[in-house]
Amino acid sequence: MRSLPVAVFAFAVSLTTVRAADQVTVIVGRGAADLEHFAARELVGQFKRLFGVNVVLADSIPDRQDKLVLLGSPSRNAAVRAIAGGSWPRLSDQGFLLRSFDRDGRRGVMVGGESPVATLWAVYELGHRFGIRYLLREDMFPDPQPLKLSGFDVIMEPELRTRTWRTISDSVIGSESWGIDDHQKLLRQLAKLKFNSVMLSISPWHPFVHYEFRGVKKQTGALWFGERFVIDAETPGRVAFASTGEFTNPDLSGAATYEQMTESGIRHVRQIMLEAQRLGMSVGVAISALEFPREFRQVLPGLEALDGLRNLSCVPSDELPPDDPGLKELVATKLRAYIETYPKIDRIYLTPSEVHEWQTPVDSAWQQLSQLIGKDAPSLDSLMKSAGSRPQIAAGDRGERSIKGNIVALAFLHNLLADSKLLQRADGSSVDLTITSVDPVLYPVLDRVIPARASTLNFVDETARRTLENTEILEALPADRVRSQLVITLADDHVGVLSQAATRSISELVEVIRKSAWDGFATQCRMLAELDPTVHFLSRAAWDRDVTARSAHDDLFATITGKQSASDRLWLAMGYLEAAAELTGSSGSGFSFPLEGMLMKHYCGDPAPDWWEQQNKLYTEAMIELYRAASNRHPRADRRMFYWAKRSEYVLEYLGAVKAVRAAGIARKKGQNEEVMAQLEVAIESLYNAMDTLSDVVEDQSDRGLIATLNRHAWRPLTIEYEKLLEEPEH
Amino acid sequence: MRWVLFTPLSLAIVSSVTTSIAEDWSQFRGYNATGVSLESRDLPVRFSHQEKVLWSSEIGKGIGCPIVSSGKVVATTMLDEQTFCVLCFDAKTGKELWRQEIGIGLTPSITSPNTQASSTPAADGERVYVYFSTIGMLAYDLSTGEQIWMQRLPPSFYLMGWGDAHSPIVYEDKVIFNRDDDLAPFLIAFDKYTGEVIWKTERAEMLAGYAVPVICTANGQTDIVIAGTGKLKGYDPKTGRERWTCNSLLRTIMTTPAVADDLIYISVQSFGDTDRVLKYALLQWKDTNQDGKLGKDELDEAFWKKFYQGDRNGDGFLIEDEIDAAFQAPTNMVGGGNTIQAVRGGGSGDVTETHVVWNLDNKSPSNIASPLVTNGRVFVVKKGGISASFDAQTGAEVYSRKRIRNFGNYYASPIGGDGKIYVQGENGFIVVLRQGPEVEVLARNDMGDSVVATPAIADGRIYVRTLTRLHCFSEEEN
Repeated sequence: MRSLPVAVFAFAVSLTTVRAADQVTVIVGRGAADLEHFAARELVGQFKRLFGVNVVLADSIPDRQDKLVLLGSPSRNAAVRAIAGGSWPRLSDQGFLLRSFDRDGRRGVMVGGESPVATLWAVYELGHRFGIRYLLREDMFPDPQPLKLSGFDVIMEPELRTRTWRTISDSVIGSESWGIDDHQKLLRQLAKLKFNSVMLSISPWHPFVHYEFRGVKKQTGALWFGERFVIDAETPGRVAFASTGEFTNPDLSGAATYEQMTESGIRHVRQIMLEAQRLGMSVGVAISALEFPREFRQVLPGLEALDGLRNLSCVPSDELPPDDPGLKELVATKLRAYIETYPKIDRIYLTPSEVHEWQTPVDSAWQQLSQLIGKDAPSLDSLMKSAGSRPQIAAGDRGERSIKGNIVALAFLHNLLADSKLLQRADGSSVDLTITSVDPVLYPVLDRVIPARASTLNFVDETARRTLENTEILEALPADRVRSQLVITLADDHVGVLSQAATRSISELVEVIRKSAWDGFATQCRMLAELDPTVHFLSRAAWDRDVTARSAHDDLFATITGKQSASDRLWLAMGYLEAAAELTGSSGSGFSFPLEGMLMKHYCGDPAPDWWEQQNKLYTEAMIELYRAASNRHPRADRRMFYWAKRSEYVLEYLGAVKAVRAAGIARKKGQNEEVMAQLEVAIESLYNAMDTLSDVVEDQSDRGLIATLNRHAWRPLTIEYEKLLEEPEH
Repeated sequence: MRWVLFTPLSLAIVSSVTTSIAEDWSQFRGYNATGVSLESRDLPVRFSHQEKVLWSSEIGKGIGCPIVSSGKVVATTMLDEQTFCVLCFDAKTGKELWRQEIGIGLTPSITSPNTQASSTPAADGERVYVYFSTIGMLAYDLSTGEQIWMQRLPPSFYLMGWGDAHSPIVYEDKVIFNRDDDLAPFLIAFDKYTGEVIWKTERAEMLAGYAVPVICTANGQTDIVIAGTGKLKGYDPKTGRERWTCNSLLRTIMTTPAVADDLIYISVQSFGDTDRVLKYALLQWKDTNQDGKLGKDELDEAFWKKFYQGDRNGDGFLIEDEIDAAFQAPTNMVGGGNTIQAVRGGGSGDVTETHVVWNLDNKSPSNIASPLVTNGRVFVVKKGGISASFDAQTGAEVYSRKRIRNFGNYYASPIGGDGKIYVQGENGFIVVLRQGPEVEVLARNDMGDSVVATPAIADGRIYVRTLTRLHCFSEEEN
């Protein structure tokens, strides 16, 4: 039985009725691409919500005196050609304009780009200028406003042409846990933020490709390094999960065998790619060239197991020469498998070597590369010295091993990719190649140590702040001779499960790569968590050199909260989070890296480090400012503000658990058994509250993955220790 | 079933001789908000979302409590952001008897775990009365779901954005409803047949609070008793006139008192210490630019009139005492803290010095979960699953800081019946305790979903509204 809806909308209805008198016609050219038709539908949806107007689509200018939006470029839309005449500017393939017109009684705005995707970005930019803010999980619309299409005269060209989002990777708190719904939702937001490239980072053991080599079939197909995450009735925060059982990627749920996993996995990856390309993004897979599932050791002597999580993979050992034909055949098989499985990929990102086990052939490898570099090739000794003495994370012996492994692998890739057909699709076109993670000491000669026509994706250090300590390296890269992107870490793995921000340091980094003419950036992160302001900054700064961290912050938050004062509090909050993250990350302890032992490693008798107190203070200040901002927000910002505020509560509870675990460890060392139990109880309650708090604001699979990993790596070990002590007679 | 003013004891006597009449739990926490069922027997001890389920229904998101009246269960939910829904089920079979979907328009901000569907209906056996923030009070025929009347109420406003969560009761021929917000708090009585406003009493001294009215008869005098900022007050049910006030409470009251015989028990935790009056909270959270004063733009426009009243020097800011002057009554400048107390009803005038039977200042109370008074003891539980019990007559501690083996938050209030106490954790576990002088956990039952609403007990069944489902648990065969 239904009753008539109670008429509480009187005001809203009348408002809509009045504005419906305005009609807008959106004109899409007859030759428009699919993406431009999509752009038109997006624009219609935005206008209806922004202005409450009636919007119709047409392919030519109507006789009616509607307000007009002309979508696309002169080459694909006759209406644009007619109105713009010769005034259409020269634009790059990414450039677009928003230009109002009032000509022969026709009024409206041209919204178009040189390419279809640029037209889509023009639509989103128009929405931005009307006050819509694109966050990573949602759009925030302004209050209804009168329709006004006059006054636009904007041309935009990117300052950073490649804007890549990295996805999948290898963490339960990352997008490896996401089903296609979460991926699609994010990709749609990234398109609005004008990202134009997606990199799917795939590990050797992932169930996303299948190949056979010399009679051996790939048999390893696992997520999260093969770890499993049980959610049972006793899991704190379990209400965030649809059901108890096992936390899984929903797209691979129920797949039990390797074959089922791989079938589901390939379908999953294809869906991500399809959505990204539908939105005008290029798509690439990032793989490690020289790392393979462990089963291939049996057919290629010289591969050795790689020590690590569950020993899932193997890599070349020193027994193999850099031109080993068997190894070349195996790598070629793998590359071909990816291209044949995903024939529509635009690019392969190939990491020469992340593990540097293959070093002995370095002399012959360097000799080969030196010939490619020419007479200004540095000596191997000088490279080794530079790598050993640099201030970055890979220095000393690790730095020397890194450069050796890099040289051997690069020489190998040169030999391998001499076969130009290796990267060809069935139709004869070639997949683009990007070489990743070349050692920074090779940057001055980067264009000559990578295979011909390849671009690069470069990693200097694990955080933007530490990368900034090496600006001379960034400036030394020959950006005019090789298209290069920089890996920008949005969230530090060592800070791991805690809230963090990095916008301020990233803004400085962006300034450096922009001045040094880098091609762009690729993000690196796990959770979306507090990333909105950082990604918003990247989105705006990539197109406007005058954008600063603060101006982007206010552009986002003063708009969605409706108050500059709330934006001020959030600026402070994000500043505290950034300071806390830098402090935590710089401790070098992997303080809250989401791995086995993440909590119980603090269960020792050493005094708590002094910096813990400062860390707690910073996170406390952040929470206070987040709640202050939350209590003064516009209702549209409720959910987002509350999400961040609750996450800051979670962090403080987690830090409380760490502190109590350390206090228990100290008491244990002193033989104070009652105090051990008391402190472990405090830790249990704090950790419970932390996970329970998280469950209040779960938004995606990363949030659930965080609870799952805390359950496995923190809650269970803690409660097991407590129960073990309970059973000991002296307790 | 019409409200009949029995004490729990007399109710028990009546029920024992009229067993054919279905037991009701017809408002928030059942009979007079006590949370006690005196009739139900063989209430299940071990049950879960998969065990002892007589019936279960996916009803959508909400935290308003289910009620039971004349063999029907009524619950509320949000079908989507724009649609509120009242649902009626057969109490025994779970068959949906009717539903009313109501367009609610733009809803105000609320703070989780509050939801828009947070009010608990009340029923009298023939009609069910439902409040919704953007609409007001609605009455439906309990048998058919036909709307009988609707009374609009002005919108409410909350300085901290908590949102509405107030629930009506039915007393004699009136629907009584108290809504303490931060703008214009009031107590109102509607004619339950027509919806006509019989009386309305301003409660200008109050800040936002969520206590449900209770009825207390003492000294031959029956009062509507409401706990609010700083004060427990008694009102004449016929006129709404204030009869007495006991100025013994704290600033923010989210719990509902429990009445046993002529005593009113209330437990409260209000953030901060006794010196923390409203201005400190406002300067901490609403002073967005942290300049030590409140600007007009730091407040919802609805509060601007109060702002101007408080801005005595006219400088465009509220500074120091101006803040309290704007929002907190000068006669009621109370702060935070903890209290558990028993107040005797039936007074007149200021009874602060005469009617407080006992008053404890300890850390046992929850800020949300109300006390349970049963078998001569007051039981309270708070975050972390920490419980305490006190002798109802003397306030003497029976036990304190005892864990009930379930962590997390407690928003639902404990209920009792058949010698057991049921304690609902937000984490989705219902802990069953034996009523007694010690904590004895009989079971810890998994609901598979958050529980914020207080369950209902009627006719040996327990009705649990989780965040998304309505379960009926019983020892009966289904």
